Amino acid sequence: MYKIILSFRYLLKRRISYLAFLAVALCVFIVVVVMTVITGLVRDFKDNNHKWVGDCVVGTESLVGFAYYEDFIKRIEESDFIEGVSAVVKSYALVRGRNSEESIGVEIMGIEPVKHSRVTGFGETLYHRKNDVSKAFEPAYDPNLAGCVVGIDRWLVRDDKGKYSYEVSPVEAALLVSCFPLTTKGALAKAGTELVNTKTFYYSDTSHSGLAGVDSSFIYLPFEEAQLLCGMAGAVKRVSAIHIKFKPNVKLADGCERVAALWKRFVEEKKGEKQAELLDTVTVQSWKDYRREFIAAMEKEQTMLTIMFALVGVTTVFIVFVVFYMIVSHKSKDVGILKSIGVSKVDVIELFSCFAFLMGLLGSAVGVFGGWLFLLKINRIEDFLFEHFGFQLWDRTMYAIGDIPSVIDLKVLVVIIVSAIGACLAGAFLPSWQAAKLEPVETLQVSQL
Amino acid sequence: MLKLFLWLRYLRKKKIVFLSIAAVALSAALLIVVASLFGGFIDVFEQSAVEAMGDVVLEPPVKFSKYEELIRRLEQRSVVEAATATLSAEGLLHLGKGDVRGVEIWGVSNLDTRFSILERISGNEHPVSRNEHSVCGFVGIGVVAEPDEETDEYDFDAVKKVIGQEAVLTTGAVIKAQEDSGAVTVRRKTVRFTIADVVFTGVYYLDKRLVYLPIEEVQRVLYPNESEGVAGQIQIKLRAEAEADAALAEIRGVWEAFATEQLGWEPYLIKGTAIVTAKQMQSRYVAEFRKQMGVLLLIFSVVSLSAVLLIFCIFYMIVETRQKDIAIIKSCGATSSSVALIFVGFGICVGLVGSGMGMILGDIVTKNINTIEEWIRIIFGLKLWKSSVYMFSKIPSEVDWNSALLIALSAVIAAAVGSLIPAIIAVRTRPVNVLRYE
Repeated sequence: MYKIILSFRYLLKRRISYLAFLAVALCVFIVVVVMTVITGLVRDFKDNNHKWVGDCVVGTESLVGFAYYEDFIKRIEESDFIEGVSAVVKSYALVRGRNSEESIGVEIMGIEPVKHSRVTGFGETLYHRKNDVSKAFEPAYDPNLAGCVVGIDRWLVRDDKGKYSYEVSPVEAALLVSCFPLTTKGALAKAGTELVNTKTFYYSDTSHSGLAGVDSSFIYLPFEEAQLLCGMAGAVKRVSAIHIKFKPNVKLADGCERVAALWKRFVEEKKGEKQAELLDTVTVQSWKDYRREFIAAMEKEQTMLTIMFALVGVTTVFIVFVVFYMIVSHKSKDVGILKSIGVSKVDVIELFSCFAFLMGLLGSAVGVFGGWLFLLKINRIEDFLFEHFGFQLWDRTMYAIGDIPSVIDLKVLVVIIVSAIGACLAGAFLPSWQAAKLEPVETLQVSQL
Repeated sequence: MLKLFLWLRYLRKKKIVFLSIAAVALSAALLIVVASLFGGFIDVFEQSAVEAMGDVVLEPPVKFSKYEELIRRLEQRSVVEAATATLSAEGLLHLGKGDVRGVEIWGVSNLDTRFSILERISGNEHPVSRNEHSVCGFVGIGVVAEPDEETDEYDFDAVKKVIGQEAVLTTGAVIKAQEDSGAVTVRRKTVRFTIADVVFTGVYYLDKRLVYLPIEEVQRVLYPNESEGVAGQIQIKLRAEAEADAALAEIRGVWEAFATEQLGWEPYLIKGTAIVTAKQMQSRYVAEFRKQMGVLLLIFSVVSLSAVLLIFCIFYMIVETRQKDIAIIKSCGATSSSVALIFVGFGICVGLVGSGMGMILGDIVTKNINTIEEWIRIIFGLKLWKSSVYMFSKIPSEVDWNSALLIALSAVIAAAVGSLIPAIIAVRTRPVNVLRYE
């Protein structure tokens, strides 16, 4: 009990301890704010990737694609852990407006919109056809035309608040899409002629996935049309990938393992059949592995920032050390009296550790509270700064970021608080050890009093 | 003299002062490293545009002919060292079995001399004989290979095997169908060309996207019905002594005269021509990067305020334990300002030593950042810098001494501020209270 009483007493009576408390609170405040923003951005980015991909992808990087996808889809649809399956054609294409001289290079994705929306968040990314995904490729101005959905950053510009200037209804626009059709060997299918397949599609909607790379480079086409353009619609049809969504109670790793096992058995069965060699290039990946290249980059940024904060946080350990060193120097008589009435060395260390813990806890509490208040208003503060001083944390016309993330992640919060308390305990350890080593006979000498 | 004596004495007797020096050094070093790396990144970003496009870029709203005459006129000017025409378009490249990718085609003059031997993987001046193949082109290294997942380095031996291979490129050829209405017809056109060399500029987005062909070939493919060669852009290198603003004005003058006399263009087309420096083209991004750097430095500066608190704590402790020293000095007739100066001066010394050490540490870390990053990869398997994410193959490793000096100065001021309140407490010490017998 006396440890708690003395801890509170030192905290309240020794004004110098306010400084350590302030340093802890300041560090926690900054770390909470910055890590919440960064973690929020990473979390949003991961969520958007998950929504764009689905849970699992059975696919190949080769633009030739692979055959027998219909048989495999039939088989996995019979499994009890599958919620939805969508076959996808992916390739590169050149796109040009009807009266334009300029062509632009894009990636195309051939999908069946309803099936794909069951597996991914495609339906939610649409603007005009959000409520009727089946009509995603039907231009509102003429449903008989072959439509296409364009990545939003290819079509609309963001204003300085990051909002898109959507049209009331899609404007009539024809886009000529050209692809290299490839044979099963990967060679050009139309050798000797023009070599490319070209078809006109009409703009029907935009897709806003929230992924800058995707929204600026992808155009979505009807599945069969994309197959034709890429030369995948032969006697044995081919696709680039099969996107899969698991039932809600299925864990990602378990689901992927089961799909991989099914795929392995399927490949064995198809051995010796025509184009079966294409199946060897196919891999089964979870959405995290499939988008690893992009997600890892964001996570590394987060790691680097954490390391830098850890380095700066060393100063807080120094402050706690100095404050405790001073308190121990001033309270050597307290320690002498305690030890003279039988308090052990461990108890003295516990006393100062309790004080350090209290300081870390209260400092963290104040820092977290301040951080929470700041985060609560962070978007309004940014709006104010933008309106009055033209300052934005991120230029929304350049970055695909909406509001600044402000929801504190509990896991991150716990790590920050534990680290702050740990820093206080680390800083207090040496002075506590010094206090524990004090001998009552020295500290309570008449000459010392 | 007395002050110096006391500073040295406190430094010797109070080892804890070294903690404040360490804190200042650590904070200063961190800020210097962040400022240097971020600043270096911005500089390389700006410089990459200059290296890729020259100092000034002239780009009219539409393609134009007779560009040789424009180049001749430009090169007669004292501010211009050289000028060259380019014609670009987007295309699809078929490199081999199942290997198709989107690329940007750059038609350039004097393909052989455009890139230094260092940037070319073959290392030869003429790697593929011009007589054997009708069309030869260069491709960026990222077009034909991917950097290693772990090391982020290209396998140059594997890349060399691509040299001499044939690739097929498709793009759109512009055929004016109806001259009177101005409507254009674009037909897909393919070009077979031999990869004469692979270019490694170290700038990821250039290496990943660009295919370089002779401008004449691109003209023939894109504008088959044009009797004269056309260009989309003129890239201009200025003389070292030329001032950008004056040069831009002079180039605009040349352009206006040329477009009026030779092309017979309407004023709106002439005025609509963009004549900007390569740096101006990047200015929006550079401004954004600088803002991000400012925000990051601000965050770290706020956290570094802890160092001020630390100095305050340590100095407060010194003042508390050295009350008798202060009282004796005051009783000998020292003024309050002299006493204050002992502590503020000592704070400045701590700031000077700390920031000096921080500068040395920052310099060592920044200059060896690529080695440090490599060691982190070897030990922890964590590749922090990837060209696909940060655009460049190497981390910029030059210390930004302007920022470093500013940070060091701020550190000294911060240290002085930290010692101010303890100095005031020292000034308020009353010898009569401290030196009483009891």
